[in-house]
Amino acid sequence: MLTVSVKWQKKVFESIEVDTLQPPYVFKAQLYDLSGVPPERQKIMVKGRLLKDDADWSKLGLKNGQKLMMMGTADEIVKAPEKGPVFMEDLPEEEQAANLGYSAGLVNLGNTCYMNSTMQCLKSVPELKSELSNYQSARTKDVDQTSHMLTVATRELFRELDKSVKAVAPMPFWMVLQKKYPQFAQLHNGNHMQQDAEECWTQMLYTLSQSLKPPSPSEDPDAVRALFGLNLRSSEESSETESVFSLKCHISHEVNHLHEGLKHGLKGELEKTSPALGRTAVYIKESLIDSLPRYLTVQFVRFFWKRESNQKAKILRKVDYPLELDIYDLCSEDLRKKLEAPRQKLRDIEGQKLGLQASAKSSSNGDDVKMTDAEGSSNGSGESSSGDQQGGAASHMTGIYDLVSVLTHKGRSADSGHYVSWVKQESGKWVQYDDANTSLQREEDITKLSGGGDWHMAYIVMYKARLISM
Amino acid sequence: MAPVPDPNSVGGGAKRDEATTKVPSKDSKKKDDKKEEDLSEEDLQLKQNLELYVERVQDPNPELQKAALESMRQEIRESTSSMTSVPKPLKFLRPHYGVLKEFHLKMAESDLKKMLADILSVLALTMSAEGERESLNYRLTGSEGEIGSWGHEYVRNLAGEIAEEYTMRQGEESSIEDLMDLVQQIVSFHMKHNAETEAVDLLMDVEDLDLLLEHVDSTNFRRTCNYLTSAAKYLPGPDDMLVLDIAYMIYIKFAEYPNALQIALFLDNMQYVKQVFTSCTDLLKKKQFCYMIARQGITFVLDQEMVANEQDREALQDIVNNTKLSEGYLTLARDIEVMEAKTPEDIYKAHLLDGRVSSGASVDSARQNLSATFVNAFVNAGFGQDKLMTVPSDSTSGSAGNWLFKNKEHGKTSAAASLGMIQLWDVNTGLAQLDKYFHSSDNPVIAGALLGVGIVNCGIKDDCDPAFALLADFIDNEDSSVRIGAIMGLGIAYAGSQNDQIRSRLSPILNDAKAPLDVIAFAALSLGMIYVGSCNEEVAQSIIFALMDRSEAELGEALTRFLPLGLGLLYLGKQESVEATAEVSKTFNEKIRKYCDMTLLSCAYAGTGNVLKVQDLLAQCGEHLENGDIHQGPAVIGLAMVAMSEELGLDMGIRSLERVLQYGEQNVRRAVPLALGLLCISNPKVTVMDTLSRLSHDTDSEVAMAAIISLGLIGAGTNNARIAGMLRNLSSYYYKDASLLFCVRIAQGFVHMGKGLLTLNPFHSERLLLSPTALAGIVTLLHACLDMRSIILGKYHYVLYFLVLAMQPRMMLTVDENLKPISVPVRVGQAVDVVGQAGRPKTITGFQTHSTPVLLAAGERAELATEKYIPLSPILEGFIILKENPDYREE
Repeated sequence: MLTVSVKWQKKVFESIEVDTLQPPYVFKAQLYDLSGVPPERQKIMVKGRLLKDDADWSKLGLKNGQKLMMMGTADEIVKAPEKGPVFMEDLPEEEQAANLGYSAGLVNLGNTCYMNSTMQCLKSVPELKSELSNYQSARTKDVDQTSHMLTVATRELFRELDKSVKAVAPMPFWMVLQKKYPQFAQLHNGNHMQQDAEECWTQMLYTLSQSLKPPSPSEDPDAVRALFGLNLRSSEESSETESVFSLKCHISHEVNHLHEGLKHGLKGELEKTSPALGRTAVYIKESLIDSLPRYLTVQFVRFFWKRESNQKAKILRKVDYPLELDIYDLCSEDLRKKLEAPRQKLRDIEGQKLGLQASAKSSSNGDDVKMTDAEGSSNGSGESSSGDQQGGAASHMTGIYDLVSVLTHKGRSADSGHYVSWVKQESGKWVQYDDANTSLQREEDITKLSGGGDWHMAYIVMYKARLISM
Repeated sequence: MAPVPDPNSVGGGAKRDEATTKVPSKDSKKKDDKKEEDLSEEDLQLKQNLELYVERVQDPNPELQKAALESMRQEIRESTSSMTSVPKPLKFLRPHYGVLKEFHLKMAESDLKKMLADILSVLALTMSAEGERESLNYRLTGSEGEIGSWGHEYVRNLAGEIAEEYTMRQGEESSIEDLMDLVQQIVSFHMKHNAETEAVDLLMDVEDLDLLLEHVDSTNFRRTCNYLTSAAKYLPGPDDMLVLDIAYMIYIKFAEYPNALQIALFLDNMQYVKQVFTSCTDLLKKKQFCYMIARQGITFVLDQEMVANEQDREALQDIVNNTKLSEGYLTLARDIEVMEAKTPEDIYKAHLLDGRVSSGASVDSARQNLSATFVNAFVNAGFGQDKLMTVPSDSTSGSAGNWLFKNKEHGKTSAAASLGMIQLWDVNTGLAQLDKYFHSSDNPVIAGALLGVGIVNCGIKDDCDPAFALLADFIDNEDSSVRIGAIMGLGIAYAGSQNDQIRSRLSPILNDAKAPLDVIAFAALSLGMIYVGSCNEEVAQSIIFALMDRSEAELGEALTRFLPLGLGLLYLGKQESVEATAEVSKTFNEKIRKYCDMTLLSCAYAGTGNVLKVQDLLAQCGEHLENGDIHQGPAVIGLAMVAMSEELGLDMGIRSLERVLQYGEQNVRRAVPLALGLLCISNPKVTVMDTLSRLSHDTDSEVAMAAIISLGLIGAGTNNARIAGMLRNLSSYYYKDASLLFCVRIAQGFVHMGKGLLTLNPFHSERLLLSPTALAGIVTLLHACLDMRSIILGKYHYVLYFLVLAMQPRMMLTVDENLKPISVPVRVGQAVDVVGQAGRPKTITGFQTHSTPVLLAAGERAELATEKYIPLSPILEGFIILKENPDYREE
């Protein structure tokens, strides 16, 4: 009879008697009593060897008082879960894209960054995407062949972008665009020339507005106009209205902020043919906004034709733009009246959010509140009946807009440099689309694209209306 | 007899000069005239006196001669005490040197002639032309009087000339006996006058260091040995070994056993180690020795001769076997209050990267989970608890399994093995935790459990040999992933043990034609680890045959590099012993030949600081190859391996690597970050950090990956905030590139390794000793990093666990005579190099006072701030036993 000690986890079972005549299984049973580990789970180590159930004790050379070590637990054996987790790497590409939270970039096909950035900005408008997806592949008579093709190509491009993770090469779209607008196919030294993104933007919107017109001639404006169009009315004297897709922000020496630039732009010393009237209209200094779009596009007039150098020169001046834009004071009297009630409501909601009582006007809201309050009361509160051009009766414009995308230009002239777009995702995150590369950005970096240096500077910004249901 | 000042001497000086015209030429006379005007009265008188003596020396009357010589000697001796400028008597005697020389020749053999020779010998100090060694020659013909009477500078000069003379005579093979007598004198003079360094230098020049033993005494042996050990780093072999031998003997002579043991370990001379044990009679001190051996990580078995009492021997063997390491480490962790487990998210600190965080994906990414597994393993290494793999007893047992199964296929291997890392050094608990995975039906999980067993046992030895008992059965498993798990586990658990039993199991695999390449590669590597630095012929043969058997295609595989590496590890730090094998390697297929060459060379000279080898390797790196050879990678890493031994070589290495970076080819550039990582491992030097930070944005992603991993290596276990910040920014910079992001995560895990309590530095004990197993672990990782995409980013990511071999707590823990931790105040500061400094210089600077246990950063040294205890080892690192000071009086 030998006695041994067995080390198990932190415990030591001292002086266990070993009956060397019995097979080791008996010994294991002894240990089972002490440790609660079933014999088949016990691993007993003797000098670098495992004790087998049927081993011969004499061959092990066991000595009296020897220390053995036991490994084993009574724990449950780990089993693999029946349904293993799904790994991102195993997913098809579309689902990976969905998990990424934003869509892919576009490959630069040779100076096509203006096109890529424009399309990324336009793609960020979900309403436009849904309009496009409803678009019939068969051409109707109202639309000419190339416009139709471009529209279809746009739809396909958006679709493809949504389902891929890797950058998409927009080759078909690019071919159609060149066909429709041959100016984009200009070559210089055998390469495609850099183009003005604003031109591309305008042409795209124009084409889409043509092709997305409702089939029958009706009073309703086309989808694109409904989304982007806004009417400008020259004040008192002329009642001519002009429908445009974007506001211009003129940059002069006094302009430091988008708001000032917009005012400047609306004063407009320009004379141009209004397509709505079919003749040259002389615009008197002050025009005001008569109707508000769902998406307000503002173009910074950064480029001007420099006669001496014969090129489009760029104004590098820093013009700040806010993440939240209020264009109330650019609106016409009529429009302002319509905006009163929704704005009041919005303020109340925001007040509540901040923990203020809707009724109690805090001093922090200041003069602004009092003024609008006074106006509101003088105008009565009968706005709710007034129709809303764009939205349904449920949601109302407030005149307040949130920044959703920025198209920037980097470089010294319109026909050179690099265009990049910065788009806010539905998740609230900003993504920079630099051709094929996409990267997440911080919101405060977006407002730093206001110019004044050689960094990317905003060229076209797009705001989304903050709607409120009444 | 003082000379009577001549009242007319002021006017008569010129006249007398003319009378003894032989001496100064006309030109010098003019100069003298000019100078004479500037001389003070005192100096002038001295000059005239000396001139008078010179004249009298040539007098035929021996009495007069003697008197003159004695006066002259008097004058010289009185003035040679200071050596900031040429002493005046010597200056004034300069013009007469030629005269005296001539006269000396003419003199008949006599005492006077010897006396003159003495004086001439001193004069030659300033007069003798370079290489003439006149000082020495005159000295040898001189009176052989007390050498020090002529001042230090004279002795120093003489020593220099002896060295020159010695080399010359060695060339001519003529006798050196007369020289040696002089050497004896000089050495004894130096040793008595705090000039041990000069004495050692002289003895090294005349290659007779044994003399030192006679001359050291209890006041100067420390400084002498200190100088010897640091000089050894700069000596070519085999001189360095000789020097250390002497240092060892001196230490033994003065019963300074801890230092003697250190040198014995450095020499890797087990006979010496044994001698330390047998010479020392104090049991407590022996315990301290055991701690030192344990830190070095070698296998060492105490026998009856070393420790007579069986119970004592068992206790000591326990210390050598590192069984208490886990306990000590946890004591440190509790004291510093870092027991709380950390999740990978705590390390990533993604909230500091506002906006840039990838939008919270709802689906798990296998790659990201794998990196989280590693980060979790490294960060919580040795703490025994974490938040992914181990579950607190009160919660349901489900979640542990869950994290394991959140890893894909081979990822599960690393996940299961991470449990071993978390339980590091705590064999009993670790095995219990790993047990349940042994019963899994999933092969990668079993492989991970086997590897985990190896990791838990890393550096710990146990009589029951649990690692071998558990792993042996799986070596020949049919599933190759299970085989690799078992083989690698054995390699880690038994690194440096030279265990024959394991060899007999692993060697057959190498020459098994049916075994897959990856199994063979890992078997070779494990054998290399187990027999690290042993020069074992049989293992070398097996690996060589395995290499020869490989087909052309197999030689191109990424994993094949582990075969030459395994071979190289056998000769780690063994210098010339590699030569025979290096010859054999020349017969290999040319695809692997050069790779093997470089690996063998770099391993053999690793940690030696051999400048010639550094140059050889640099020359390899400078070549511009076009045939796609990959041997430059190991050459660059080898550069770092050789140069990393001491500070100067290290700085030179860093500088050379900067050049290589600028002019080298792409495949060289890819290895440079890794080499930098090795040079500054766990030692975040700002300059290197900046270089790596720059490279981490390199356009070549391989360079960037290597740089990122190296950022982790240089910051390993430091919690360095700057590197952590860099890596955090890199994680947002590379958030889209899964491979680079994986590297960033791993590096983050390294930086926070053991929550900042660990170090990867293979050098310890004030940078003197190099732990071979630690270096082997790091080098293996670096070689794997040379082909990141196929190994670490492929399915062999578990090679990262080889780092466990180098992981050691960077602590100083004081224990009392019963080996229970006690807290005493210590000063911790930047170490100062005190080699060759006079007096008792401060050994640390900019110190702060803490209570033990304390953490020691790279280049830091601790010093006891109380007189109450006496440390049993002069090197305050790791475990230190304190003995109460019997002379201590409470104030």
